[in-house]
Amino acid sequence: MMASNVPIAGDDFRVGFRMQKAWGVHMATAFFFGEAGAGLYFVSQFFDFVTGMTVGLLMVLFGKAGGHLLHLGQPLRGWRALTKVRSSWVSRGLLAIVVFAVAGALHLLDVRSPFLPGAVSELVSAVALLACFVIMVYQGFAMSHSSAITLWNTGLMPIASLIYALLNGVLLTLVLGFNTPFLAADGEAVRLLQAAAIALMLLGLVTVLSMLHGARYGSEAGRAAVGLLLRGRFARWFIPLVIGLGFVVSALMMALAPRQFAWMLAVSGAQLAGYYAFRVLMFKAGAYDPVTGSAPRFRR
Amino acid sequence: MAKWGMVFDLRRCIGCNACAVACKQENSLPNGVFFTKTLSEEVGEYPHATRTYIPTICNHCEDAPCERVCPTGATWTRADGIVMVDRDKCIGCGSCIVACPYDQRTRLEPEMLQQGLFGNGRLTPFEEQGLTRFTVGTVVKCTFCHERVDAGQEPACVATCPTEARIFGDLDDAQSRVRQLIQEHRARQPLADKNTNPRVFYID
Repeated sequence: MMASNVPIAGDDFRVGFRMQKAWGVHMATAFFFGEAGAGLYFVSQFFDFVTGMTVGLLMVLFGKAGGHLLHLGQPLRGWRALTKVRSSWVSRGLLAIVVFAVAGALHLLDVRSPFLPGAVSELVSAVALLACFVIMVYQGFAMSHSSAITLWNTGLMPIASLIYALLNGVLLTLVLGFNTPFLAADGEAVRLLQAAAIALMLLGLVTVLSMLHGARYGSEAGRAAVGLLLRGRFARWFIPLVIGLGFVVSALMMALAPRQFAWMLAVSGAQLAGYYAFRVLMFKAGAYDPVTGSAPRFRR
Repeated sequence: MAKWGMVFDLRRCIGCNACAVACKQENSLPNGVFFTKTLSEEVGEYPHATRTYIPTICNHCEDAPCERVCPTGATWTRADGIVMVDRDKCIGCGSCIVACPYDQRTRLEPEMLQQGLFGNGRLTPFEEQGLTRFTVGTVVKCTFCHERVDAGQEPACVATCPTEARIFGDLDDAQSRVRQLIQEHRARQPLADKNTNPRVFYID
């Protein structure tokens, strides 16, 4: 019998793959709001789009932080996660959230009614943007750092995080800014954002498929995880939602869309649904390799 | 200073799981929590079928990924190599659980401490006194029974094993039995490709 025939063992006292269950829907929700909110802020700041920056900041503060607090076993001790910045991506991420909250809020106040000296204002703006960028990518690093789970243990994971964050940011900027003077008066900006969205969707599709390809040939657990996503019990969600709705349908809709708010809303909805499904399913499909290096089966 | 480690002799293990029971008793483990398990698998087909047993436990890795990813420093390694979790620092984020290649960590959910070993919501006096050592929402794992080790005893699973399939000792002592078994039998570490350098070895 080949190792690939080893069953998924669950909690049984049996040799087999074990699915990770430590990170679930709460964590996926936190990741979702983190990347969508940070992406929205990042894109909006380039256009000085205050509504977008405000919504992005609130998504990170309430959506991401709320998801993490719901996930933690001891939420009141959450501040302790700031203490190991040197080695832990979770620590680095929390530090980035704190810096982003302070610098982002200061920058927004300064944009609305300038009160900071010029140089300080630019510094605060740059710090907010830098912290925002860290939030856009650190979740990918936190996952890829786990050598235990082959599906996650790839350098493409932070890149996927960055692409998804930028894509979410572009689409939410298009939706939130559609009927505002910011985009209504600037047709060139709309075309630029639409082209960027299509490019990011194609890039995202290739990145996700490359991650699956790498995991498929990375280890037996990677093969099992990809099997679950493409042929197993998660395929009915992964293929139509993550691949279909999240990339293919939304890219086609964006390419063919007339410049109407309803279309932008529909494209964003489709893509965000695909992205949320991606976050949940990547957690659900994470599998550990069997600890059976010494088992007779594996000697052959 | 000793560097504690363990050897599993797969030729001797009979899969009785007395180790798991002794561990649960020694550590007053709640319902559904195991620090050690002996896994089984069937190999071959009738009439040449057989069953093998694979004991598993926290490997107290020298380069422990669980310690590296812990955002609070709750996971730490003693000078003798035993990887510990400080329940007063743990926030229950689960980073260590997804970082451990051996799936040897458990987050204590409220129902684990409430439903009791009989699953009827009532705790026995044994559980009432034992469960005080746990905090809901924090992560727990094997500590090689560090209190016993500090008192000069072997871990409970080792002391209980009826076939001496588990051997505990100082990996830095060239004369220790674990060291000799590792050298004589070209012992292997579990999932060596993960580069964690486990302090648990398998011989067969």
